[in-house]
Amino acid sequence: MIRSDIIRGHLDSIILRLILEKDQYGYEISKQISLKTKDRFQIKEATLYAVFQRLEKKELIESYFGNISHGGKRKYYTITTFGKAYLKETVKEWQETKEIIDLFMEGLD
Amino acid sequence: MREIKNHVDELFKKIPDSEQKELIKQEILENLEEKVADLMAQGKKEEDAINRTIVEFGDIEEIEKELGVSQPTKKNMTKFDLGFSILGSALIISLFVFINFYYTPKTIWFVYPTFAVLWWPLSMYYRWLRQ
Repeated sequence: MIRSDIIRGHLDSIILRLILEKDQYGYEISKQISLKTKDRFQIKEATLYAVFQRLEKKELIESYFGNISHGGKRKYYTITTFGKAYLKETVKEWQETKEIIDLFMEGLD
Repeated sequence: MREIKNHVDELFKKIPDSEQKELIKQEILENLEEKVADLMAQGKKEEDAINRTIVEFGDIEEIEKELGVSQPTKKNMTKFDLGFSILGSALIISLFVFINFYYTPKTIWFVYPTFAVLWWPLSMYYRWLRQ
């Protein structure tokens, strides 16, 4: 599996992006990450819920209790307007970062 | 599924109790149970599914850090220290000046101890600048 410390710095954006598409709960998100990356990257639950805490504290996401699942209520997350704006910013930042790093990494094998 | 609950209980043991802790614990427990159920639906044995879920959970410290009672940031005392040193040295210097002019008005010697004492506010000033 890929070295995760580079991805780690962008987990906030990755999770915001997934929630932007539709409101989701924890396991759904971790499953989607594995699915989208074809298991090349898996998020650990401890990391995921730490990110939720952080994003909620920063008011980038909000949570609510949805339908009853296996014997309990599922906690869903939804992105806030502030979160959307933040995501837009980080996307721009990432594009720029990528271009800069590519300047040095491209053309070698 | 008992193993999952026991494991989560164990993980959260050292985190101080709070309403938030209970909420997140509940949430994690539910999601982990769903993961186990999902893995079993994919054809894994219950034991394997539980073990994998526990192994993949990761490091509880990440959550602890987010929940952690925010460490009280050490109050910045450098400004106070600087003020105190200025006041203190002014007092000491004026004592020297007083003794000098009261007892030996003909020789001016108070300048020498003054230089020594000034190191105090000078070092405090530097400390204040640096922070």
